[in-house]
Amino acid sequence: MITDAHLISAGGAITAAEAVLKGEVLRSFALVRPPGHHAMKVVHGTRGFCTVNIEAIMIEYLRSHYGIKKVAIIDTDVHHGDGTQDIFYHDPDTLFISFHQDGRTLYPGTGFMEEMGSPNALCSTMNIPLPPGTTDEGLHYVLDNLILPVLADFKPELVINSAGQDNHYSDPLANMAITAQGYARLADKLKADIAVLEGGYSIEDALPYVNLGIILAMAKLDYSKVIEPNIEECPKQTARTTQYIRQLVDRWHKVWAKRDMLKYEAVAKAGDFWNSQRSIYYDDSGISEQRQEKVRMCHECAGYYMIATEAEGAGFGVKSAFASVIPRAACPSCRRRAQDEAITAKRQGRYGHCFIQDKQQDILEKL
Amino acid sequence: MLLGIDVGGTFTDAVLVASGRILASSKMPTTHHDLLEGILSALDAVLPAADHTQLKRVALSTTIVTNALIEDRTDKVGLCLIPGPGIDIGKIVPVEPVILSGYIDHRGREVREPEVVEVRAACRHYSDCDVFAVAGKFAVRNPQHEMMVADWINEIAKPQYITTGAAVAGSLNFWRRANSAYFNAAVWRQFTHFSDAIEQALRQRGIDAPVYILKADGGTMPLAAAKMLPIEAIFTGPAASVLGIMAMYHDDRPAVSLDIGGTTTDIALWQEGKPLFASQGAVVKGYPTAVRAFRLKSVGIGGDSFVRYEKGELKVGPMRKGPAMALGGSHPTLSDAMIVAGLSTFGDLDRACQAMTYIALPGQMPGDAAKAVLDVAAGIVKQAIAEMIDEQAAEPVYKVEDIVNKTCFDPQMIIGVGGAAAGLVPIIAEQLNISYQVPDGSMVANAVGAAVARPTLDITLRADTTQGYYTVAELAVKNSINSRRFSVADAQQLAVEVLRERAAQVGIEAADVEIVQQEEFNLVRGFNTVGKIITCRMQIKPGVIMTVGRVQEVVL
Repeated sequence: MITDAHLISAGGAITAAEAVLKGEVLRSFALVRPPGHHAMKVVHGTRGFCTVNIEAIMIEYLRSHYGIKKVAIIDTDVHHGDGTQDIFYHDPDTLFISFHQDGRTLYPGTGFMEEMGSPNALCSTMNIPLPPGTTDEGLHYVLDNLILPVLADFKPELVINSAGQDNHYSDPLANMAITAQGYARLADKLKADIAVLEGGYSIEDALPYVNLGIILAMAKLDYSKVIEPNIEECPKQTARTTQYIRQLVDRWHKVWAKRDMLKYEAVAKAGDFWNSQRSIYYDDSGISEQRQEKVRMCHECAGYYMIATEAEGAGFGVKSAFASVIPRAACPSCRRRAQDEAITAKRQGRYGHCFIQDKQQDILEKL
Repeated sequence: MLLGIDVGGTFTDAVLVASGRILASSKMPTTHHDLLEGILSALDAVLPAADHTQLKRVALSTTIVTNALIEDRTDKVGLCLIPGPGIDIGKIVPVEPVILSGYIDHRGREVREPEVVEVRAACRHYSDCDVFAVAGKFAVRNPQHEMMVADWINEIAKPQYITTGAAVAGSLNFWRRANSAYFNAAVWRQFTHFSDAIEQALRQRGIDAPVYILKADGGTMPLAAAKMLPIEAIFTGPAASVLGIMAMYHDDRPAVSLDIGGTTTDIALWQEGKPLFASQGAVVKGYPTAVRAFRLKSVGIGGDSFVRYEKGELKVGPMRKGPAMALGGSHPTLSDAMIVAGLSTFGDLDRACQAMTYIALPGQMPGDAAKAVLDVAAGIVKQAIAEMIDEQAAEPVYKVEDIVNKTCFDPQMIIGVGGAAAGLVPIIAEQLNISYQVPDGSMVANAVGAAVARPTLDITLRADTTQGYYTVAELAVKNSINSRRFSVADAQQLAVEVLRERAAQVGIEAADVEIVQQEEFNLVRGFNTVGKIITCRMQIKPGVIMTVGRVQEVVL
C-alpha cells in the first residue's frame, strides 16, 4: 500500500521543513505528491488519493527532532482535511483550521463547525465550511476576520499550510471561485513557515498560476503579474454568499471568545471517557471501516486514547486492530493505563492486531 | 591535419595534430589589446610544419566573447520581452527591457496578439540601438510572436542584427533564454569583427580550410553559424581543456580532471569517459543563461599563486603577485615550491630556494618549506573537489527512480593537465589516495582540445498530438503531424531527420547523434487521456575527431 512515491513525498516534506528549521531558507513549499490530508490515524486503504498523511508525519518528525510543541495547520484545500483533523483531534497543541467547500455539497462530506476537537482539545479544530461560489472576497473576509486573529491568539511556534489548489474557479472537482491572486494574497498574509501540496485538478488553467503565486508570495517576491489568461471566466460572489460567510464568521467569533468555558463544560459532561463511533469509507480502495475511539478525560494531561477498528472490503477481507496511544504530554498515570488497556485487549483476543503507539519514546509497539 | 588555437588568459597556444600525434606546437603571450596579434604569432610559429593542402580544419577557442563582456565592450541592446502573466521579469534581466503585450500559452497557443504600436514605441525608446533581442515566454513552443515582433523591428528600426530567444535556446526557461538572447546580441558586433579578421588573416596565409569556433559545451561550430550564435563561444577556455583531456585520456572509471594553470585550477568530473554537464546553463556576468556548458569549478590555485604567512598560517593563493622568483619574480610562488621539491625543472633553482627560505619557519630547510607549501595547495584543491562532489550529489533529480537509486560520485582517478599539473597532481592524488595520469602534451591541452573537437548541433522537437503538430524551436519550424498515434519513437526518428538536415545545411557531419533529454506527458481532459506531449532533444554527440598521444597511469 505504501510505495516509494509515498516515502519520497513524506521525506520531501520533512526535507523542506528541515531547511526552514535549520535556517537555510526563510520558508519552504514541499511540492510533493501523493497528497495526504484525507489519511487518518488508522489507514486501511486509500481515500481521496491519500494513503499516508504527509504533513502529519512531517509535524511529528519536527516535534521529536526539533522540540517544537505548538503547531498551527491551515488547510486551504477545497476538500475538508478530515485525515489531518482526525490525527490531531485530541491534541490541544495542534490548531487545525480547515476552510473548504461545505461538506453537504462535496467530498468527503465532513468538516462542519460542530467538529471542534474532543473535550480536552476543544476549539483546536476549526472548520469553516464555505458555500459553493465563494470568491477571493469571501475567502479574504474569513482570513482577515477569523483565521488571522485566531492564529494570533493561539501563538503557534510553526505555521503549516496544507496547500490544496482546488478552490480555483477552474477546478473540475469543486465549485469555488478563488483566483491565483486570491491564493497568493492568502499565502502573503498567512506567512506559513512550510507549505505542503495537497489537491488541485485544473492542471493547465489553475496549477501553473496558483503554484507560482504561492511560491512568489512565500518568497516575498512580487506576484502582482500572476493572472490567469481566462480570468474573466471567474464568477462573481452573490450577495447571499457574502451574507452567509459573514454570519458563519460571527458564529465562530462567539464560540472562540468563550472557548475556555466550552472546554470546561465539555470535559465535565464527558465524565471519565469521551466516546465516539463512526464509519469511514475508503473511496479509492472500496473498504468500509467501523471505528470506535475513547479518550480519557484526565486532569493532569490531555489524556491517552484508544482506537478499535474493523474494516472490510472486496478482496480485502475483514481486518481488525486495537491501539492505545500515549501522547507526548501524557502523565505517568495515563501512560500506565494506556499500556494496561492494550495488554488487556491483546488477552481478550478480539482483534487481529494490538499496538501501543508511544509518542513519548517515539515507538510503535506491536503486542 | 588539424590546426587548433587556444587563446588563454596568459598564453595563446597553437598545435598541429595529425594521425593522433602533435606535429608542432607553440606558446605565445596573449595580446589583450588585440587578440588577433597573438593568435597570428602562435599560428605563424606552427605553420612551417604544416602542409596547407592537407589542412582539414582550423578550430579556435577564444576569449573574445568573454573579454568583450568583462571589459564592457558590448553593444547597447534593445531588449523586448513578451512575458505574458507570471513573474515580473523586468527587474532580473541585464538591462531594463521594454515589456510587450501578447501571450503564447504553455501549449504554444496564442492567447493574445502583440501590438505593433507598442513595438513602434519600443523602437523609439531604443532609437540609439543598432542591435535588438526579442524573447517571448513559451516561444520554444511557438515562436510566432517573437518572429512577428522581430519583423516589425526590422521594418521600423532597421537594426543591424536581431536575436530571438527560441533561436538561441530550444528548452523551457524564459529567464535563461531572455538573458541568452540579450548577451548574444550584445557581443554580436565584437565577435563578427573578430571572425572577419581571422578569416582574412587565414586567407592571406593561403589557408582555405574551414574555420570552426569552439563552444562552451565542447562542440565546435562553423564560423558562419557562430556569427549567428556568438554567445555559444563564451567560456571556451575550460571547454577546450576538457576536450583536450578527452583527446588524451581514455578510461571509463569515474575521474576528476584538474587543469592547473598560472592562476587557477579548473576542476571537472568525469563519468564513463565523459565530462559532466552543468545541469541548466552557464552563468554570464551573474545572469543565468541557457548556454550549455560543462560542470566546472574554479579554485584559486596555480603555479603563480602567491605564498606567504598570514597570522602565523601558511597561505597559498588565490591572488598572484607576478611570476615565480625562479623566473625573476619578486614574491614566492607555488612554482618555486615545486622547483625546490624537484617536481618542476624550469627557472633558476637558487632563486626558487631563496623564495622558500623567505617563507621557511626558523630552522626549517627550504625543501621542508616547499613540502609544506605543496601540502597546503593540494589541500585547497582537495577541499574544492570534495565540495564539487557534494554539489553534484545535491543536484535536483527528476524521477522517483533517481531518488531511490541515488548513486554517489566516487572518483577513481585524477587526470592533470596545464602548466603546473605535473608538480601538484601527484600530491593531490596521494592526499586522496587514488591514482593519477598526467598525459603527454598536457602543456598545450587546450589547443589540442580545440583542434580535435567534433562539430555539434542540437535541436528540440516537441510534438503535441492533441493539437496535431510538432515544433522545432531552434529552427522556427512548425509542421502538422497526421497521426494521433504519434509516438516517442516517431518523435525520435523525426528529430534525427531534422538534425541531419540542419547539419547538412551548415556543412557538418551528423554521424553520431544522441538524445539529450526526452519526456512524454499524457494530456488529460476530464478524466481521460486525450493525447500526448512529447519532447525530444537530440544532438550530435560532442567529442573528439581523433585521440592524441599515449598516457601512463601512475598507481599509488
